[in-house]
Amino acid sequence: MAEKPKVAICWLGACGGCDEAIVDLNEAILQVADQINIVLWPVALDFKYHHIEAMKDKEITLSIISGAVRNSEHEEVARLLREKSQIVLAFGACASLGGTSGLANFITKQEIFDWVYRDAPSVVNPNGTMPQTVTKMNGNTVTLPELFEHVHTLAQVIDVDYYLPGCPPPPDLIAAAINAVLTGALPPKGSTIGPRVALCDSCPRNQRKPARIEIKEIKRIHEVEANPDLCFLEQGIICMGSATRGGCGESCISVNIPCRGCGGPVPGVDDSGARFLSALASMLKAESNEDAKRVIDSIADPAGYFYRFSQPSSTLGKKPLEKATEGENV
Amino acid sequence: MAYDPNVVCFSCKFGWDYVSDNKPETKVPENRVPVVCCGKVESNHILEAFKAGADGILILACQEGDCHYQDGNFQTSKKVYLLQKVLETFGVERERVRIEMGLDPEGARVEQLVKEMKTDLSKLGPVKRF
Repeated sequence: MAEKPKVAICWLGACGGCDEAIVDLNEAILQVADQINIVLWPVALDFKYHHIEAMKDKEITLSIISGAVRNSEHEEVARLLREKSQIVLAFGACASLGGTSGLANFITKQEIFDWVYRDAPSVVNPNGTMPQTVTKMNGNTVTLPELFEHVHTLAQVIDVDYYLPGCPPPPDLIAAAINAVLTGALPPKGSTIGPRVALCDSCPRNQRKPARIEIKEIKRIHEVEANPDLCFLEQGIICMGSATRGGCGESCISVNIPCRGCGGPVPGVDDSGARFLSALASMLKAESNEDAKRVIDSIADPAGYFYRFSQPSSTLGKKPLEKATEGENV
Repeated sequence: MAYDPNVVCFSCKFGWDYVSDNKPETKVPENRVPVVCCGKVESNHILEAFKAGADGILILACQEGDCHYQDGNFQTSKKVYLLQKVLETFGVERERVRIEMGLDPEGARVEQLVKEMKTDLSKLGPVKRF
């Protein structure tokens, strides 16, 4: 019998929700596990990076990598897996688009350090100690990964073959992606696994949506009791479904929560935040410029809302990897 | 060399500078993008312009309440106001996007408007972050 294909599952700057989504395959994971050899899964299994380092190049059939790249350890692991893998799947919103941690790009690394180690009310740090990449203690040297200036998507650091966005990706698309690799029925390189249309296309509320949506007041989901049958936008609740790739099984919509955009842009669009901004502006119904400004001013943190999952892959947010010079703060 | 800000100017063909279309000798100004209606200027056009090195964006629109396409200029002003708020979070000052509404078939004021914007942008300096 031919050797089973080797699969690595790894998290970089991630919360573990993507790993949890793989576990959520439930019984299906047993069938999958039967057909593959998992060679790395830090969150679930005790394999070490040096096991991977000892492998031949391209020995791993598929690496499923979740999380954004924020520090030098993430970069190192990503490069190692790229070297040893035939196929790299950017798994989840963070690896594909940057994810929620990408919102950190709206402030600088220095601002983060100042707040976390100096200015936050809960911090007591009289000596102004800041983490360092290299520290000498009692004749020994201890090191920490270097925090980069910016949160990066996986594709900004290594060559990525496929993308599966979502926070986390839905089980049926995970199974489809793994099966595509196992059966060799692979889509063209660079493809995103999932439907090519926006979430509105499959949203059950779309049927009853008015022909023209006119928003007079913006409401936040926790402030109102949303009607579970009506389009959120019609109710003045910001829903990113019109600018977000579907395929998620409407998991948020079905529990009466608007879409936040974790599926990323539809094909042909780079910056779903900007597209949604244009769409939302045209839906705002106002009698005058002043009235329009009043409604727009009531949107809490529009940049954070429109780019909740995609700041690092947006037009202005994307950046090539730049490393700090040695000796600086971590 | 003194800092010379790049201004990208989207100008509506129904309110601005349409007479010069019939004068082939008219030189098309630098970074000027004629559009059929300022409502055609998408947020991502503005973002792409910044990404490509623009220091400011000037949108020339029809007079208030007098858009050739009913309300394209009003739609644009809503969009720009929202975009300005988003841009500020990205570290791009709101003054870097400006709408001028008016009627100027000869395009006589365009050069002056670009010049004024460049003067204001010079005070801000180049875009700092992103």
